Amino acid sequence: MLKYILKRLISLLPVIIGATLIVYLILNMAQGDPARIILGENATPEAIAQLREEMGLNDPVLVRYGRYMLNLVHGDMGTSYRTNAPVSDEIFARLPYTLWLAAASIIICILLALPLGTIAAIKQNSFLDGLCMVLSLLGVSMPSFWLGLLLILLFSLTLGWLPPFGADEWKSVILPAFALAVSSMASVARTTRASMLEVIRQDYIRTARSKGISQGRVIRRHALRNAMIPTMTSIGIQVGFLLSGSVLVETVFSWPGIGRLMITSIQQRDIPTVLGCIIIFAIFFSIVNLIVDLLYGFIDPRMKSQYA
Amino acid sequence: MSDQKRHGSLALDIQGLVVEFHTLDGVVHAVNGLDLSIEQGTTLGLVGETGAGKTTTALSVLRLLAQPAGRIRAGSIRLDGEDLLAKSEQEMGKIRGKQVSMIFQDPMTSLNPVMTVERQIAEVIAHHTRLPERQAVEQARQMLETVGIPGERGSEYPHQFSGGMKQRVVIAMALACSPQLLIADEPTTALDVTIQAQVLEMMKQLRQTYQMSMLMITHDLGIVAETCDRVAVIYAGRIVEYGTLEDIFEHTLHPYTRGLFDSLPNLEDRTARLKPIPGLMPDPANLPEGCAFCTRCAYATDQCAQHRPERFYRTQEHYAECHRCRQICFEKGGSAVWE
Amino acid sequence: MAVQAAAKPASRDARRHNSQMYDAMRRLAQNKTAVLGFIIILIMILLAVFADVLFNYEQTVIKQNYAEMCQGPSLAYPFGTDELGRDILARVIHGTRVSLSIGFAATIMASFLGGAIGAVSGFYGRRVDMIISRVMDMLMAIPGTLLAIAIVAALETSMRNLILALTISSIPKFARITRGAVMTVKDCEHIEAARAIGARNGTIIIHHVLPNCLAPILVELTISVSFAILTISGLSFLGLGVQAPRPEWGAMLASSRTYIRDYSYMTFFPGLAIMLTILAFNLLGDGLRDALDPRLK
Repeated sequence: MLKYILKRLISLLPVIIGATLIVYLILNMAQGDPARIILGENATPEAIAQLREEMGLNDPVLVRYGRYMLNLVHGDMGTSYRTNAPVSDEIFARLPYTLWLAAASIIICILLALPLGTIAAIKQNSFLDGLCMVLSLLGVSMPSFWLGLLLILLFSLTLGWLPPFGADEWKSVILPAFALAVSSMASVARTTRASMLEVIRQDYIRTARSKGISQGRVIRRHALRNAMIPTMTSIGIQVGFLLSGSVLVETVFSWPGIGRLMITSIQQRDIPTVLGCIIIFAIFFSIVNLIVDLLYGFIDPRMKSQYA
Repeated sequence: MSDQKRHGSLALDIQGLVVEFHTLDGVVHAVNGLDLSIEQGTTLGLVGETGAGKTTTALSVLRLLAQPAGRIRAGSIRLDGEDLLAKSEQEMGKIRGKQVSMIFQDPMTSLNPVMTVERQIAEVIAHHTRLPERQAVEQARQMLETVGIPGERGSEYPHQFSGGMKQRVVIAMALACSPQLLIADEPTTALDVTIQAQVLEMMKQLRQTYQMSMLMITHDLGIVAETCDRVAVIYAGRIVEYGTLEDIFEHTLHPYTRGLFDSLPNLEDRTARLKPIPGLMPDPANLPEGCAFCTRCAYATDQCAQHRPERFYRTQEHYAECHRCRQICFEKGGSAVWE
Repeated sequence: MAVQAAAKPASRDARRHNSQMYDAMRRLAQNKTAVLGFIIILIMILLAVFADVLFNYEQTVIKQNYAEMCQGPSLAYPFGTDELGRDILARVIHGTRVSLSIGFAATIMASFLGGAIGAVSGFYGRRVDMIISRVMDMLMAIPGTLLAIAIVAALETSMRNLILALTISSIPKFARITRGAVMTVKDCEHIEAARAIGARNGTIIIHHVLPNCLAPILVELTISVSFAILTISGLSFLGLGVQAPRPEWGAMLASSRTYIRDYSYMTFFPGLAIMLTILAFNLLGDGLRDALDPRLK
């Protein structure tokens, strides 16, 4: 088992290196000379040239990327053009907020999507099923930032129940987490329903029923775990969307996470910080996918043979 | 006639069963007035082509037809004299797996892939005996030994077993609560020929040991000859011929049954050509008015196409639903009607 | 019965068409929600094409008119006016043109490029396949919207760069689908037959392989357009997409944020437009999937 995790971790490495290289190359195309951004418009050409030399900006891009990655391994993500502080300090100060928001969303998503999808499948073609499907279609189609605005309008401005922005109290997370969760929730609920429908048609469900076990128990003991296999894939994909979505939702709710940091940094052309944010997202996304892969092994014993 | 009297000794008694499936394309008449009975401690073979209604009949007994499409429209199903169609879902939960068990056709798909086999067997034991989980697992391992699998393999998952082993597991699961009636739905069709013989032999022995009655569903007349006491031939959801093993094999009445024999390879005469039954079974969504077999029958007349045949009893027990065999039988005076 | 009767006169045509495709389209036409999605998309396309006929771009859509600012929905302005006195209905309709044109342009480019990459990868296999697949894996390791954000952050924000960003982030999915489809079709007998009579690889890909993987690509096309439209509005909402004064739904939502407390109608309609568009493409996409793969029903 441990060997398998290690093997997967190692196979993840080239993907992460490749992904970060792509991001590095893209952001390397950014307009504007970093040295000029740091020194300001009035700097002399000599000062700029000297700083370029110090920063190693004259080296080939692959060399600079290699240096960046070596530093990254040591926790150094460069220096912010704007604040002159280490990028990593800012990112690690913001990371807990983003993780907290993402975790709350995933929990909301799973807690609501699995029962909804399951009930819809069991009561296929009933009114309840129809309602679930219509709601999930609307949910999938609803942009998170618009939903966020509507939630603020209703729960903060009209009803006054929840804070409209910031992260000052625990209640603050409810609206952004919900805004972020809805489309993923709808998507996972649809997958759950579809895989559940597929599973309850299987022979082994009939076998279980032929033992005399009640419908509800068959669903809980036999169908759910099998239906979880495709659902897991869907949840893994949704985590990627959650990360992208967090950029938007954090902006709507002025949530002090990495997504918000990234947007303000883009506006200020603070490329090292932008790079750091995206790289953190990409690494996080890869790790989540790895976890999903590993969870397959727990759910589906057929995958365990790969561990050996 | 002697229905009342016979009830006591019948393990299973199905009368006038009608099952329909309501689909988007219309109503499919899967079973159309089927009568079937199994005496205590005997094996009845239910023989017919794919789609004749064999599995539907079996699932009707367990009341496990695909919902909400499948409906039992008419008829009665009595298990040991008790009317199953009058039972509540909860009562059925005490009957399934305890009084009637079923072995399904494809062992590859009939076991839950994410549950160890001992837990799958223990589940049925725990459900019907209220034993604690650990003891149920213990018994499950004993059941595995009974069907020839080392008990310690119980902690493995289905994908770690071969096809024949899986079917043994399914059998262990079906027999775990010593049911009175075992329904075996083509239990060996999905297996290799050599494994088929082993599994069949084991089932025969277990049936004896457990004193069960058995409904053996198959399309293989060889299996019927091996295992059955009586045979019912099913066509388009009706029993077209019924009799003892000897009746069916030696005094075949119905042209369809004759056709089934003719489509078997003849080992004595290797040069003899196979004579497959021409055509296909009628679409169960659109059954003909008269005899359902008439479109494929070499002996069919106008009468066959227009009127549903009545039963012709050759002996007190052996009958066929056919217009023509009545006539031919009278002409030729009994045996070997179609020679 | 009615269905059979209706289908009969058309069945002569069917023989000329790829009959599988014809069947799929007929199933699609019978799927009410898919047809609804298709109709909504059609109306949106018409609105986009005739936006100028309905509302003058210079006079109504972008010209500031302080006399009429912040008016709630009324007969004259069914969706109200924004903080600069512009008719929100006119802006929403012209926004259709922006969103659809960028969405379609990016998706079509991505499908061609991704399709070509995937086809080459799947068809030639071995080392070519390995290299291409690894690069696609790397691209996929970055969530699509983030990749698009990175690209527009690096380049300046313009329509061209926006389309480029969306195209690049959609390529891997098309490549993966085409590759998978090509690999399953590749070993079929009719491909071997074509090779046996000496057809060249390029010919085989275009004439034999691609028509056979059309189904999953069609489904991905609808998903991809809706992803693109959603991403455009998201980027514009963040100020990284379409720039003022050009009307774009996400950008309209961003500027409405300031007025959400007092003029909440400003927040409502652009968002509704996004949702309706995405919904329509989802409905059509679901319908297509069901129609093209009846086993999934």
